Amino acid sequence: MKRRLFIASSIAAALAGCAPIGTALNDNPGFHHFLGLEGSLDAALMGNLPGLAREYSLADISKHFPVDSLPTPMTSTYRSLLEHDFRNYTLSVVGAVERPLRLSLAQLQRMPQQRQITRHDCVEGWSAIGAWTGVPLRRILQLARPRREARYAIFRCMDSDDQGMPYYESLDMAQAYQPQTLLALQLNGEPIRPDHGAPVRLRVPTQLGYKSAKWVREIEVLGSFTHLYGGKGGYWEDQGYEWYAGI
Amino acid sequence: MRYSCIVQRLVYRYALLTRLAHWFGALAVAVLISSGLQIFNAAPYLDAADRSTPARRVLSIDSPADGVGRTTIFGRSFTTTGVLGWGSDGTGGEGARAFPGWLTIPAYQDLADGRRWHFFFAWVASFAWIAWLLSSAVKGNLGEMLLRPSDLRKLWPMQAYYLRLRREPPPHGTYNPLQKAAYTFVLFVLAPLIVLTGLALSPGIDAIAHPLTVLFGGRQFARLWHFVGMLLFVGFALVHIFQVVAQGFFNQMRSMISGWYRLRENESVGP
Repeated sequence: MKRRLFIASSIAAALAGCAPIGTALNDNPGFHHFLGLEGSLDAALMGNLPGLAREYSLADISKHFPVDSLPTPMTSTYRSLLEHDFRNYTLSVVGAVERPLRLSLAQLQRMPQQRQITRHDCVEGWSAIGAWTGVPLRRILQLARPRREARYAIFRCMDSDDQGMPYYESLDMAQAYQPQTLLALQLNGEPIRPDHGAPVRLRVPTQLGYKSAKWVREIEVLGSFTHLYGGKGGYWEDQGYEWYAGI
Repeated sequence: MRYSCIVQRLVYRYALLTRLAHWFGALAVAVLISSGLQIFNAAPYLDAADRSTPARRVLSIDSPADGVGRTTIFGRSFTTTGVLGWGSDGTGGEGARAFPGWLTIPAYQDLADGRRWHFFFAWVASFAWIAWLLSSAVKGNLGEMLLRPSDLRKLWPMQAYYLRLRREPPPHGTYNPLQKAAYTFVLFVLAPLIVLTGLALSPGIDAIAHPLTVLFGGRQFARLWHFVGMLLFVGFALVHIFQVVAQGFFNQMRSMISGWYRLRENESVGP
């Protein structure tokens, strides 16, 4: 009987030990960093694969597209833009480019539009399909002509969290020139709603949803992003999520 | 009554690489399950569809009110307060959580860190699987473990023996027909399916291999299969641990730690 008790208690101890030991290791900065190296491996292996996200038909569109981001900006600037139907909105393209740009919403609307019906995969696990219409990012970058030192496109957004930390994201140049990477102006044939990122939101259908930044106001082309905010290349990246969000 | 004078022989049963692969694999699977539950907690429902579709929800775990946990399977709801839906928040308190803190890595809710653990140990499990395959193939006992067509007719007699409907097990080698079926299924069907359904969840993999995601019915469906695969693996692990205990815990553990296994009376070394 003692033997059985010993066996049962050693198995129970092994099981019960899992979560506390894992949590203690998780809180160790060195170990936490070591685990994170896997994300760099994924970026190296998969960051620039040539694949295209699957395109769907109109019948596949989700009836309800969830809103799962920082709250819609409540700043006076954003409210004023919204009240005037974004007529005063400009998208700036700055940084390591030959020709910095300031594009109004009307100018963006007049550029050749691409429509894609793609699936949005949230890091939390849910997915929704929507028809996005807008300007391929590579068209804008071709106009701005990135200089030789350009390695990343940084997206600066109008939303921020309750600590005042603004949302931002980044793509490397290959991801930015991927043909489906879109500056979306419409969702399902309607101008993007404020809570979906009006007037301009990024769509990166080959990566998880946090890459598809809402409320984009500026694109800055840079050689590195390590000097920005937490240094990891994005709002969620600074909180431990992977920079390459294709997994 | 058995007498202790029976000659018992020690045989070297498991090569070092096999043992390392077993323990690294076991550790990795434990971490993958608990970090996987952490990831599940971020969207605690499973839909049999490509995109999220509440009308095709197979499982959901939620908290309809403070202090109440609810699990809904195929539309039937059960109160699961304290374990599923409402339970340990991993920081000493209680809160709305699909799987409780004592089952997840880390114990507190943190999707980013759960993903770190999960993806790191997915590599560990994959390398353990490859190491095990190589070591078993080289040592020659892969053949002993694999289910063969001739084993199929012995499956029921073996089950009947376990159910005490039969006095003797059917003649077999080192592994009995049910063991062979279990190992073959888990290592060559279930493990690859879990890896493939996991890969199908990745938008980057989906972009280079649409047929994989389509094969499983889409991303949310792949998430469901990935979860079902985990449940089957847990089922295997429970039976496996039970068998280790039932067949002589210390002898079995010694053989998987040192490699040496003590043969019992009448037990053959294997073919």
